[in-house]
Amino acid sequence: MKKRSIILYWLILIVPSLVIAAGGIVLLRGEGERLAQVERSSARDRARAIAETVQVTVEAVEHDLSAALMRIPSQSPIDALLDWKDANPLIRNVFVWKPKTGLLYPRNEDSATPEERRFIARYQSLFSDSGRWFTDSAGGGEIPESGLARRQRRDMPGEPEMQPQSMVMDIRSLRSGRRQLQQLAQSKFKTDSEDHGAGTVSEPSSEGWIPWFSDNKLHIIGWVRKPKDDVVYGVELELVTLLSQLVVDFPKSAAKGMVYALVDDGGRIIHQAGEPQVKPGEKSEVAVSLAPHLPHWQIAVYMDDRNPLVGAGQGFVILSGLLLGIFLIAVVTGGTLLTRQAYRNWLDAQQKSSFVSNVSHELKTPLTSIRMYAELLDEDRIKDPEKKKRYLQVIVSESERLGRLVNNVLDFSRLEQGRMKYHLEEMDVSGFVRGIIELHRVRIQAAGMTLTEEIPEERIPARADRDALKQVLINIIDNAIKYASDGGELTVTVEVRDGQCEINLMDRGPGVPEGHRKRIFEKFHRVDDSLTTPRPGVGLGLPIARRILRDHGGDLIHRPRSGGGSCFIITVPLRRSGASLIQ
Amino acid sequence: MPFHFDRRVESNDLSWKEKGRFTMKKANSGNRVSANSAEGVVLIVLLVLWFLLGPAAADDSNPRVKCRVETDRSVLAVGSPRTIVVKVTLDAEKPPKTARRPPVNLAIALDRSGSMTGEKLAKAKEAAIEALGRLGSSDVFSLVAYDHTVTTVVPAQRVGDAYGIRAKIRDIHGGGNTALFGGVSQSASEVRKHLDGEFVNRIILLSDGLANVGPSSPEELGRLGAALIKEGISVTTVGVGLDYNEDLMTRLSRNSDGNSYFVESSRDLARIFNAELGDVLSVVAQKVHIIVEFPEDVRPVSIIGRDGRIRDRKVELSMNQLYGGQEKYALIEIEVPSGKVADRRDIAAAVVTYTDAVSQRRSKTGGSATIRFSKDRSDVEKSVNVDVQKAYELTLSAIAQEDAVALADKGRDKEAGEALRRSAERLKEVGRRYRDEKLLIRAKETAEQATQVSSQGMTGKARKSLKTDSHQTRQQQYSR
Repeated sequence: MKKRSIILYWLILIVPSLVIAAGGIVLLRGEGERLAQVERSSARDRARAIAETVQVTVEAVEHDLSAALMRIPSQSPIDALLDWKDANPLIRNVFVWKPKTGLLYPRNEDSATPEERRFIARYQSLFSDSGRWFTDSAGGGEIPESGLARRQRRDMPGEPEMQPQSMVMDIRSLRSGRRQLQQLAQSKFKTDSEDHGAGTVSEPSSEGWIPWFSDNKLHIIGWVRKPKDDVVYGVELELVTLLSQLVVDFPKSAAKGMVYALVDDGGRIIHQAGEPQVKPGEKSEVAVSLAPHLPHWQIAVYMDDRNPLVGAGQGFVILSGLLLGIFLIAVVTGGTLLTRQAYRNWLDAQQKSSFVSNVSHELKTPLTSIRMYAELLDEDRIKDPEKKKRYLQVIVSESERLGRLVNNVLDFSRLEQGRMKYHLEEMDVSGFVRGIIELHRVRIQAAGMTLTEEIPEERIPARADRDALKQVLINIIDNAIKYASDGGELTVTVEVRDGQCEINLMDRGPGVPEGHRKRIFEKFHRVDDSLTTPRPGVGLGLPIARRILRDHGGDLIHRPRSGGGSCFIITVPLRRSGASLIQ
Repeated sequence: MPFHFDRRVESNDLSWKEKGRFTMKKANSGNRVSANSAEGVVLIVLLVLWFLLGPAAADDSNPRVKCRVETDRSVLAVGSPRTIVVKVTLDAEKPPKTARRPPVNLAIALDRSGSMTGEKLAKAKEAAIEALGRLGSSDVFSLVAYDHTVTTVVPAQRVGDAYGIRAKIRDIHGGGNTALFGGVSQSASEVRKHLDGEFVNRIILLSDGLANVGPSSPEELGRLGAALIKEGISVTTVGVGLDYNEDLMTRLSRNSDGNSYFVESSRDLARIFNAELGDVLSVVAQKVHIIVEFPEDVRPVSIIGRDGRIRDRKVELSMNQLYGGQEKYALIEIEVPSGKVADRRDIAAAVVTYTDAVSQRRSKTGGSATIRFSKDRSDVEKSVNVDVQKAYELTLSAIAQEDAVALADKGRDKEAGEALRRSAERLKEVGRRYRDEKLLIRAKETAEQATQVSSQGMTGKARKSLKTDSHQTRQQQYSR
């Protein structure tokens, strides 16, 4: 299988997958952005609803305080105002002012409390300029309010515009807070005025509320003007009480990572609902003004920067991203498995093709020799008896080689199909190895190799299939003759180690290249598998030998020999552990 | 010009309940002489009613709060106009141990910010649980925990399932900043759920750090306290460690007539909570309103150590509650014109209205003071009221403590030390003159504070001690 084909297959698989994934990501991002937009829009609507409810609350409080001011008794109005202030937490200060005359109460005298003195200082410029209060001082009729606080009061108690159900639920607490504040605003003064008896004013009056900034802080005063005596009665709203109630009833934030906050005119967060904590100077995503009732105040919405996909879209995006990831992993994993399987199949096919070629070649070579020498003898053209004998030996030798080859192929077939049968018997490994070496001594020496034996005299008992073990040894000796004859040495040792009999066959050949040392035991593998290789073979000798030995409970391993060459180590269990042999 | 009480105030303070009780008492006396059986039944019914309402009816004749009006001298020297000090003292009698006490509506605002985590929060939770253990089944308890957000851990409820409440308190964990304003606001909201009942309403605020979420200035929190007292809610503040804002905490408690404590170690929290509960559980009078009127030619100059209002010849003060066995007082400086020898005259008259904490009826008490003029200096000297002098000196020393803090805040540590030293010397001199142990101890303590401030400057601990001491003296927090 060519690299180009693999790359092509991968490209066919990966490119569409990546295109789909990229498309998916783009769509997801778009969808996430859309959902975030929806979330922002929803947050803005909710902030508007909160802002409107806050404004209605302030307006309701102002309305009720104004209504109470309208009922101020004509007798001892200052006493009544002070009693009202002492009882009503929504009132910070009270005042009585006559345009062109000045403040009638509080006055900058020794008896004034520190708070009253601060009040006078705070509103000094306002009280010194009646033009800031009225544009038309003609008494009796409607007097327009100051440009500072031109407010169109709606019918009370008014409700904000209809909002989605969830938002209505959300701001319900604020409305209950408004009711509590209205109770405070309505309380006490009415009773006091009743106690004070007759004289409450019911003549037409004008009224208004003025937001006033002093020391960069918002203050609010409300006033009622009695046209009869041209006196203005008023209160300064206690913003802290108002805030205290707004803070308690501020709607809780439902979405994680979304913070709703009440921000004052100095940018200070008065109260926040939701996590995480807003840092100083953090920019809000949405801001809805609370003007005109609380100028420069706002309801702000903050979204967590670390978690841009907040709210309802978050789950969708995560789930979709997860599905896309699973799809990509499935495609890549499937592609990898298919490619691997195809590669294996291709390798198998290659090996089989190589095997057939090699076997054919291996069969053909001895057959050619046999046929050639047999024809020569058949034609009786060889007269020299020595030559005849040599030719006959060649025929026998090539026939044996042919037989071994066929045996190997047959054994391999049996081993592959699990049909290999072993005939186990008691044997002496030392004697057995010595016998095999003796049989092949001539062949080894003929290959130009010096044979060295270190085989102990004593008996090493084992239980094994003689023929199988013989085939193992012959395969390894054949390999040595075939590949390592140039080294000129073959050493055979037998020893007992760790309860096993170890047969070492060591040569001084070129050795096995490092990349092939493990693979030489794989079927059909050859270091040089070309047909033109000078060394014939089919790549079955070593795999068969290892399989036979492992079936006996032993093993065949290769180690590079110190000083060059290879060392094949055959291990065979001694008879004591022979019971574990596979039958 | 003759001196009159303002009768309008008295008539306003008579509630419909009092009027009803008055009518009933008359009927009772009318039926006492009856002999026939029908009248006998009525008599029995009325006797039962009298038995039920008796203790309350007895209030008028034997008020639970007694008022004394005294001057620092009862004899003035003839000559130029004088400035004297009037002390209006309210003595709340200690109720018998077996007496029914008014139910308590207690909210604890617990700081769970990052700085509280560890032993502080653990001890605070233990203290809250101990406080819970002292409440009865008719009391209402709530607990709010705050960091940068506010959570109602225990909504206002009768102390029935104390086990469940304890588990919720133990489950509080710390972290985040300090939304103190939100914590107090939420606690007030929980208290408001039972504001209409006959409860003693109290918030105990515990914090160890600087408020940094929402309104955080002493002025803003002071205004919150002033607003809460109008609803009958007092805030007691407990500052733990050396990092909290003592100005904010004392201002909040002072404006809401609550107590203020400074504990350096969280191990003292249980003791402080116990002391506070001792106060809260012994309230005998609420919504106390004092009006002191002076004759036409007497000018009230200032109210010493307390907030109040001076209008014309009238001084008005309020206290949210009086504790049993406690003495609370107000000091007013007045300017008196010279009189003739042996001329005895009324100098001040106080009317005190309050709600009896048990019967929930408005009650009234009062008192007045007279002075006379003399040419004899020894007469003047002998007429000195040591009790008034002592109260005056203690209050002045509390003001001196605040002045010293203000000076140190401007970087004038030496002047701060000097102000304290002068205060200590004055206390010592007056203490020696009148052989008063309390003043001498106070003089010694103030002298030590002066030495410390002069040598080491105004440390955080010294500042907190001075602010808390000053608050406690001005509010007579420990005057039992």
